[in-house]
Amino acid sequence: MNRFSHVAFLPIAVLAACLLSVGCGKTPSASYRLNMVEATKQRLTPDQERQVATVLLAMFGTPDNPVVLPETGLDEAKLRLASGPVRSDIVGRKNGLYREHCAHCHGVTGDGMGPTAAFLNPYPRDYRPGVFKFKSTERADKPTHADMLRILRNGIAGTSMPSFALLSEPKIDALAEYVKYLSIRGETELALMRAYFELDDDAKGILPETREFLVDETLTPVAEKWKSAPAAQIVVPDMPADIDLAESIAKGRELFYGDKANCVKCHGVTGLGDGQANDYDDWNKAIVEINKEVKSGLAKTGETSTSGMSAEDAAEHRQQVAWLGKFSDVIDGDALKPRTIPPRNLRVGIYRGGRRPLDLYYRIHAGINGAPMPAAKGTVPPEDIWHIVNYIRSLPYEFDGELGADKPMVARDRF
Amino acid sequence: MGSRLGGIFWSLIFLAVPVLGVATFAVAPSYNIWLPKNVSEHGPSIDSLFMFILALTGVVFVVTEVLLFWFLWKYDAAKAKGPATYIHGSHTLEVVWTIIPAATLLFLAIYQMNTWADVKMRRPAMSPTVEVVARQFEWRLRYPGRDNMLGTRDDLFLTNDLHLPVDEDILIQLKSMDVLHSFFLPNFRIKQDAVPGMKIPVWFKATETGAFDIVCAELCGWGHYKMKGRVTIESRADFDRWLEETYARQEATQPASEDITASAAD
Amino acid sequence: MMMRFVAVIVVGCAVASVGCGRSRVAAPGADVEAAEKIRATLVSASGKSGGKTADVAATGTGWGTLRGRFVFAGAPPQAKPLVVDKDTEVCSVGGMKLLDRSVLVDASSKGLANVVVFARKTSRVKTAAAEAPAVFDQKNCEFLSPVFAARVGQQVDVRNSDPIGHNTNIAGSSFNQLIPAGQGTAYKPDAETGMPTMVTCNIHPWMKAYAVFRKDGYVAVSAADGSFSIADLPAGETIEFQVWHERSGGPNGAVGLEKPDLKWTRTGRFQIKLEADEVKDLGTLEIPASIVGT
Repeated sequence: MNRFSHVAFLPIAVLAACLLSVGCGKTPSASYRLNMVEATKQRLTPDQERQVATVLLAMFGTPDNPVVLPETGLDEAKLRLASGPVRSDIVGRKNGLYREHCAHCHGVTGDGMGPTAAFLNPYPRDYRPGVFKFKSTERADKPTHADMLRILRNGIAGTSMPSFALLSEPKIDALAEYVKYLSIRGETELALMRAYFELDDDAKGILPETREFLVDETLTPVAEKWKSAPAAQIVVPDMPADIDLAESIAKGRELFYGDKANCVKCHGVTGLGDGQANDYDDWNKAIVEINKEVKSGLAKTGETSTSGMSAEDAAEHRQQVAWLGKFSDVIDGDALKPRTIPPRNLRVGIYRGGRRPLDLYYRIHAGINGAPMPAAKGTVPPEDIWHIVNYIRSLPYEFDGELGADKPMVARDRF
Repeated sequence: MGSRLGGIFWSLIFLAVPVLGVATFAVAPSYNIWLPKNVSEHGPSIDSLFMFILALTGVVFVVTEVLLFWFLWKYDAAKAKGPATYIHGSHTLEVVWTIIPAATLLFLAIYQMNTWADVKMRRPAMSPTVEVVARQFEWRLRYPGRDNMLGTRDDLFLTNDLHLPVDEDILIQLKSMDVLHSFFLPNFRIKQDAVPGMKIPVWFKATETGAFDIVCAELCGWGHYKMKGRVTIESRADFDRWLEETYARQEATQPASEDITASAAD
Repeated sequence: MMMRFVAVIVVGCAVASVGCGRSRVAAPGADVEAAEKIRATLVSASGKSGGKTADVAATGTGWGTLRGRFVFAGAPPQAKPLVVDKDTEVCSVGGMKLLDRSVLVDASSKGLANVVVFARKTSRVKTAAAEAPAVFDQKNCEFLSPVFAARVGQQVDVRNSDPIGHNTNIAGSSFNQLIPAGQGTAYKPDAETGMPTMVTCNIHPWMKAYAVFRKDGYVAVSAADGSFSIADLPAGETIEFQVWHERSGGPNGAVGLEKPDLKWTRTGRFQIKLEADEVKDLGTLEIPASIVGT
C-alpha cells in the first residue's frame, strides 16, 4: 500500500463507525414521560408508578392520540389539529402543530424540558403544576383562553418565547387548547401521585380505578378551575380621564419608594432590579428544596452505620439510602438546574406580560403567580395602582428632560 | 486504455452539464423557482444587473462546456492514431484569456456602482420610519410614534408584523439584540446583516401593496429557519389608520372586548 | 493493517453508541390493556363505584379529648443563625441574631415544639365552623408562629407588626400579599393543606413558617414544652391521626415512632378511639434525635 492509505482510512473508519452505530430501526413514536420528580418525592413504588401511567393513558391518551373526557371541557377537534406528528390529512391543513412549534422547548409532555430547554434563560414553562404567570385573572386562578391566545400571539418579550402572530387564528386556538390539555393532564398526574399518601391502609397502596375517584374527585376539580377562569378576571377601574400625568408619576414615585407597596425592596432604589438576587420562582424552588433534602439526607445516612441496628431498622436504612440515590438520579436527569429569578429591571422598557398600562395593572394588582412578585390587591387602592403604573412607564425615559430628548438615554436605548 | 464506447459515454455526460444547466434556467419561471416578484423601486436595476451577469457568464459557460465536450469527443484516447504531442502551451492564448475576463470584471465593477450606491450609500435624508431589532428568533419593531422620534414615550412596539406605506421613501434602522442576523426582504431585493452593536440604515421604496416575507438570512441558532416576519405594504391612509389603532391597543387601560369571555355557562 | 482498521472501527462504534445525551431514570410504561378497561369505565356512567377513602360511619355520641407531650431524646442540634441581609435596621436591630427555629427544644422540659398532630378524617365535628378569627403575625422580621394552624373557612388576620413592609406567601395557595407596616390583611383558607405548607416572605427570604389548614379543625401544634391537646373529638369511632415535624426524615415530614400499641406507622399515623367525655393522655412521646436529623 502506498502512503495515501494511511491518511485515508482514519476518516473512513470513523464514518463507518458512525453509520453502524446509528442503526436502522424505526423511530419510536413519542410518549409522555411520567413526572419522576413527584413520583420519587411521594416515594411511589414501581407498581404505583405503573398504575399512574396506566390511569393517565386511560384518561388522556398518548401524544399521537389524545383522549378527551367530556369533564375536561376541551374541544376535541382543536386537540386533533395540535397533537401528533407533523402531517397533513387535507391539502392545505397541517396537523401536529404542537410538535412543530412548541415541543422542542416545552417538551412533548409539557414539562418545560424539551431538547432546547436547558440552554434558555428563563426556562420554558412547565405546564404540569397548572400555574401560569401572565394573565388577566386573580392570582390563584387560571388564565382565560384569551390570555393564552395573547401570549401566543405576542410572545413574551425578553424571553425565548416567540411571537406566533403569523400563524392563522385557528392554529393559535388549537395550540392554546392543547396547552390547556397538557396542563390539566399534568395537574391530574400530580393529584394522583399525591393521593397515594392519603390512602387508608386497607387500600394496600392501590388507587381506586373508579369513575367516582378518577373523574369526580381528581379530574373535575382541576377542570373546574379552568372553566371558572373568566369569572375571576380582574375588574379594572378606569384610569381617571382628566389625570395629570406629571402629578400621577410623582405620586407613583412616592408609592414605589414607600412602605405600602415596597417596590424598591426587590426592584432596587434605581429600579434596575438589583434589590435582591437570591429568590426562586415556584418551579425552581421545588428543585432547590429537593436538592437540600437529598443532600442533608445523604449526609445523615452517610454518617449512620447499620451495625448495632435491628434487622428492621437496617432494612429501613437501606431503603432510605436507595431512595436518596434514586432521587439524586431523578434530579440529574428529570429536572433542570435551578436558577434564581431576578426582580425585573424596570429601566429597559421590556415587560414580559405585555406593555399595555392594563397589563402592568394586572401584574401589580395580582402579583405574578408562581413568582415572588406579591399582590398589591387590598393593600394599594386602584387609583394608586394606576399612579404606580404611570411611574413605571416613565422609568425608561426618566432623563428625558435633563439630558434632552434628542440624546436617547442609555437605559432605554440599551438594546 | 479505455474503449471507444467509454469515451463516447463520458463525453456525453459532460455535454449534459451545459444542456441541463441551460434547460433549468429556461423552465425555472414556470416552476416558480425564479426570482420572487419584485415590488421595490430599485429592484428592476438589481434584477437587470443579475440578468446581465447571468447572460454574460451563461454564454461563457456554454462555450467552455461545449469546447470541453468537443475535445473529449475528438481527442478520445481510443481513437488515437499515435502518441500525443507535448507542447509548452500557447503564451498568446494565456494572455488573451486572462485579459478578457479581467476587463469584463472591471467593466462589471464599474457598471454596477450606481446601483450599489443607490441601495447602500445614498441614504435618504429622513428620520427612520421604523427600527427593526433582530432577535433570536423574531423581528422586534419600534415605530417612532407621533413625535417622529425613536426612544420617546409614544413609541409603538410590535413583533414580526411590519407595516409600511407604499410609494414613499422608507428608512429602517436595523439593530441586533444578540447575535448576527440578516434582514432579508426577498420581494424588495433587500438583504442586510444585522450586526450586534451597530445601527445600520436600510432604505427602499415599495411600489405595490400587499403582504410579503421577511426572512433571516444569517444562521443565528436553532430557530433561524422559522425566523419569519411579514411586511405589509399599504396606502398612506391605511398605514396611518393602522398606526393609530395599534397604538390605541398598546395604550389600553381596559381589556379588549374579545378578551372578555362570557363565563362558562355551558 | 487490517487489524488496525478493524480496531478503529470497533472503538469508533463503542464511542459513538455511548452518545452524550442526559441519561434518565427508567420510568415504568403503562399497561395498555388495563388502560383500555379503565377508559371503558370512565366513558360509561356505570362500573365500580367508590371514592378514595370510605366515609367514616358516624357512631357514638359525645366528645373526648386527646393530649400528650413530645420530648426530644438526645442532644438538640445547635440552632444556626439565619442570613439577614436586608432592612438590617429593623431585622438585626441591636445586633439581634435571628436563629433557625426548625428544631426548638425547651432546655428544662426537653419538650419539642412545633410538632403538628391532626385528625385525618372524622365523621362529625362539634362546631360547624370556627368561631373566632385567628391571627398570624410577624415582627422583627420573623413570623411569630413557626407553625400556624387554622380551620378551612376560618377568618385569618395576617398581620405585620413591623415598621417595614412584608409580603406573606403561602405556598400552594397562590396567596402572596403585600402587607404594609402595622397593617393586616384578611385571608380565608379555602382548601385543606394535607401536610403543612411553607409560608415565606419574598422581600426577606430568610423568613419561614409553616401553615396547616384542616376542614374539621382537629389540629394541634405542640407548645414550647412539647405538650399538645385536641378537644371535642368525636367519641366512639377510631380516628387516625397524622404527626408531622418540619425536620423529620419520614415521608413528607411524617414522624414515625415505635409505638405498636397505638398502631403507629412509618407514615407518621396512629389510631385512637375515645369514649364520651374521656381525656386520653398519651403521656410522654419520645422523638429520637435521629428522626429529626442534624
